[in-house]
This record gives sequence, structure tokens and C-alpha cells, in this order.
Amino acid sequence: MTGFFKGATLVLLLILLQTSVLPLYLSTPYKPDLLLILMVFLALRAPVSTSFPAAYALGLLKDCVSGLYLGLNAFSFLIVYLVLKAVSDRLYVQNSLLLVFTVSLSTLATMLINAVLLSIFSEAGGIVSSLLTAMVPHLLMNAFVASLVAVFPEFSRVRTVK
Amino acid sequence: MFDFFRKYSLPIIVFVGLLVALITYSLNLSRSHQANMLERGVNGTLAPMQQQATRSGGFFGRIWHDYIALVNLKQENSRLTGEIKQLNSALAAAGEALRENERLARLLDLRKTIKEPTVAAMVIGEDVTPWFRSLTLDRGSESGIREGMPVLAADGVVGQTVKVTANSSRVLLLTDHASGIAAMIQRSRARGVVKGRRDNLCSLEFAMRGEDVQVGDQVVSSGIGGVFAKGLPIGEVTMVKKGEYGIFQTVTIRPTVSTAHLEEVLVVLRAPRD
Repeated sequence: MTGFFKGATLVLLLILLQTSVLPLYLSTPYKPDLLLILMVFLALRAPVSTSFPAAYALGLLKDCVSGLYLGLNAFSFLIVYLVLKAVSDRLYVQNSLLLVFTVSLSTLATMLINAVLLSIFSEAGGIVSSLLTAMVPHLLMNAFVASLVAVFPEFSRVRTVK
Repeated sequence: MFDFFRKYSLPIIVFVGLLVALITYSLNLSRSHQANMLERGVNGTLAPMQQQATRSGGFFGRIWHDYIALVNLKQENSRLTGEIKQLNSALAAAGEALRENERLARLLDLRKTIKEPTVAAMVIGEDVTPWFRSLTLDRGSESGIREGMPVLAADGVVGQTVKVTANSSRVLLLTDHASGIAAMIQRSRARGVVKGRRDNLCSLEFAMRGEDVQVGDQVVSSGIGGVFAKGLPIGEVTMVKKGEYGIFQTVTIRPTVSTAHLEEVLVVLRAPRD
């Protein structure tokens, strides 16, 4: 229960940081996706029982504060999570470079899935051009923030199976 | 004779001394403003020494003033530094209040021009992704806001409300790809739909190729669609492109409202048409 509250507090802080604090200092293309980075971290490090619902919940949460389409990011987060979870057992997850690499790939993957879903199901024509324009700065920003995650002591802690 | 002087030497010396003093005094009465030889000699000799003594006195005075009398200088310095910080903060707050006052005054001016009831709201959040363009406001259904209501700033149209909760609502900005506002060119009355584009720009869709649209034309809401009242400023035409084929022309618009720096907006409580 304590872990749940800690996680919820962390997510709340990330949401507030991303919606209300960072926009004051960063221009629009350079917004990092803190929820995606958290999802990737959970996919690599947390057990399925926690990380699976968390990945979907983080996606839904992102949909609540972004765009018009509830379920868009929830779906793309889940797809990316499942792929990462399938390979995470074979990866050295304590490596900070690996986190940067997986976050970068996940950013690209979610943008691609979002672009496909939006093009097929929404009336937001031309959004692909916006996605392409924002892709490089968004990717670089996410990679940068992911590299900062490795600074936290929790990152290098090795989890043991109980 | 010698014995006489010897016997009365003291009274004689005293008498002579007094006489000399009296004569000296009486002789100098008429030249009291001029220095005589004795005075010049004494004063001339003393002057350099007095000068040094005075300097020494200044040195000791400086020691007193600069060191001994300033033992509380550090505390005073800290206190004054603190006061400067407080005054700077107060100055910054006053400047911020002044600018906020100017913005609110402009918003109030806009409010006076709108016939429908309005609600002023503050921007409390931005969209988390760079490709969707929306803002979060601190007012919701408790303030009478519903989905589809027009949102304005002092410079013109901002967007319309979507996803309203009890105490917050989101605004779909006119620069979002999903946004569409019926509009017209103010000069030529050419009509179209303003849709969001990338880079915080918009485009006027469905403007017929033969319509008169020029760079620099003002784009205003046409009132068609029932969301926005007629004549609200939307933007300015920055590019017009007519291809060889096709029935429409490509018109790029720069919005009058800079959505990146919005802090307060006005929501018009106009019930949207179903």
C-alpha cells in the first residue's frame, strides 16, 4: 500500500511538472514525456503485476491531459510496454545507456502508433506533419531526461525476487 | 649698589618683568592684527608640527571611525542586504501586478463589448505533447462552462472549450489540427474554415480559388456555426498560394493571439447549438 501511494505521489508530481511547471520554461517542441519515461522504467524494472496496469493507467492519464482522444496513448503505451516486457528479461536493465536507448525507441514507437491511429480514426488531418516536426526535439528531450533518471539512487538498486 | 640689587633682586626682577610685559603689550596694541617677529617665529616653527599632529589626529580619528566604531557593520550589512532583497522582491511583485492589471484591463474592455455573459479564467496547464494544442483553465461547469463554448483573449479568438469538469476545463486551441472555426476575410468577405496547422499557424480551408485573398488581410469569425460571434479577430493572412489546378487556394494565417503566452482568457457562456 505504501508503494502504491509513493507511486501515485510520483505520478502526480510528474503530471504537475509536465503540465504546469515545464511549459513556463520550455518551448512547445521541447516538452519531455515524463510519463512515457516512467512507463519504460517500469517495463524494464517492475514486475508484470504492477507494471502492466501501471502502463495502461499512465497512458490513460496522459490522454486526460493531452489532446482529445481518450485511449490513444493508453493503447500505444500498452503496445510499447508489452514489447519491452517481452525482451526486458534478456537485458541488463541497470545500464543507464540502455534506458536512454529504450526511451528513445519507445518515443519513436508511440509517435508512430499515435500517427497511424490518428490518421485512420480521427479527423485531425495533417497531424502527421506536426508529429514529424516535433519528433527530433521531443526524442532528444526524452533521451536527455532518461539520462538524468540514472542519477537517482533507485536506478542502480538491484531488485531481488521475493 | 651691588648689595642693594642683591638684596632686592627678586622684587626688581618681578618689577622689570612686569614692566617689560606691560611695554610689550602696549607696544603691540596698535598692531594687534599683524604678527610680530616672535609670533612669526613661534607660529612658523609650530606650523609643521601642528600639521603632523593634526594628521595624526585624523589617523586616530579614522581608526576610531573605520574600525572601532564599526563593530556592528557586518550585522548592519546583513540587515541592509536583506532589506534590498525584500525591496527587489516587492519591486518585481509590483511590476508583475502592473502587467497583470494591464492584461485584465484589456480583458475587461473586451468583456464590455460582448453581449453574452462571460467568465474570466486563468490558464493553469498546457498540453503535455507538442503535437496537440490545448490549455487547461481553472474554471469548469460550476462556473457555467459547457463544452463548445468560445474562448477569447484580448487580441481575439483562442479556441473553444472541450472536456469540462466541475472545476476545470480544457480549451482546444485554434492552432490544433482538430479545431475548425468558420471565418471570413474582413476586407473581401471571402469565407472558409480556419483549421490548425503545425508551428502555431492556421490555414483557411475551403477558400475558393477565385476569392480575393491577399497577404495582410485580417481574418475574422463569420458567425456561421453558432459557436463564435461574427467579427471576432482570428488572425492575419501571411501567405496565399494558388496552384494551377484545384478549386481551392492555400491560405496561411498567423493567429492574433499568441497562445504560448496566454495567462487569462474569457469564456463566453453561449450555449452551443447541437
